[in-house]
Amino acid sequence: MGVDFANVGFPVREDLRESHREAWRRLASPGSWWSGGERVAIAAEVRAARDCALCTARKGALSQSAVTGVHDGPGELPGAAIEVIHRLTTDSGRLSKSWFDRVRADGLDEGAYVEIVGVTVTVVSIDSFCRGIGVPLHDLPEPLEGEPSRYRPAAACDDGAWVPMLPNRRARGDEADLWTTLGTGNVIRAMSLVPDEVRTLNLLSASHYLSMEQMTDLRKGREGITRQQIELLAGRISALNQCFY
Amino acid sequence: MLLRVSSELQGHKVDLAAITDPKAADASGIPQAGVLIAFADAVVGRDDGELGRAREAVLDDLGAVGLVDAAAVASNFERMVRIADGCGIPLDPPIVVLSEDVRDDLGLDQFASAASTPGQGFLGRSLGPVLRAVVPRLLRIAGSFRRS
Repeated sequence: MGVDFANVGFPVREDLRESHREAWRRLASPGSWWSGGERVAIAAEVRAARDCALCTARKGALSQSAVTGVHDGPGELPGAAIEVIHRLTTDSGRLSKSWFDRVRADGLDEGAYVEIVGVTVTVVSIDSFCRGIGVPLHDLPEPLEGEPSRYRPAAACDDGAWVPMLPNRRARGDEADLWTTLGTGNVIRAMSLVPDEVRTLNLLSASHYLSMEQMTDLRKGREGITRQQIELLAGRISALNQCFY
Repeated sequence: MLLRVSSELQGHKVDLAAITDPKAADASGIPQAGVLIAFADAVVGRDDGELGRAREAVLDDLGAVGLVDAAAVASNFERMVRIADGCGIPLDPPIVVLSEDVRDDLGLDQFASAASTPGQGFLGRSLGPVLRAVVPRLLRIAGSFRRS
């Protein structure tokens, strides 16, 4: 099934359909650090993680490092990349700085790491929506040709996160579109080492949650649920994932 | 924290315990809280049968538009939590101060990802109660100003 909600049996907002199509186009395209083929391979690994025996065993273990083995999945990517994709997909609430340092030491560049985060969360989110409304997952796209740009914003710096990010001020230059306010939340800046992943985040957040402007009006909800109900869902999902943020 | 502030802005008091304890949903003061909590649990879970039942309950109570919106929001936060945890970002300093009581009440500081946020100093702990009283009022005034 492509990005289409034609046979769902009830209407799905057009902005959701359009944002999924655009996210899938970006998924297939070369990124900053990974080719289109590698990005689609990341997406395939995200889907495999759901049924990975090692991830299931680790999820139930008190100490994840005590459970060793090989992740189930296509295995087309470097081992460190596969570890990041599976852990981020299945047990993100227990990631630690020491784990991050280990995958970096295994040869994963900071930019490549952030792009994996971006692709992984895009696929987790879109798949989760499809499961939520009870429709088949979108088919993964055919990769587009081309080389990664290797673009890294010059202003990215250490600002308290594991990865460098743009400073908390009005975004400037080639990144001026990432946020138009004087500053923004850390969760928006988190992936700014790979600006295109922030653009995809903004695209999907506007259709799944609220646009940046709507977010600041705390009375603003959606047609089908109120702002209170939205924030209740947000809080519960965060708690279930053991997310402190 | 957004749940508390958005509720206060509309003159409602909510019990945030439902965030970590589904049994508290009915007492939360939020319409259809139980159905939405069950849906969130099923979206994060792995049981397709459970998800199907939770989906039907949302459809019954909130209709198809509500189901689409609920699934969109739930899946949005399946994304946001992984960005926060995957990039090891600290909680934004103003939120550290403003959310201290909520974090205490719900036990959020016990989560492993809390390690990414440094503890607040004496000034933050001192200012917290004052700011938690003042900020919702300021936001309410700002909201009124925006609407006018």
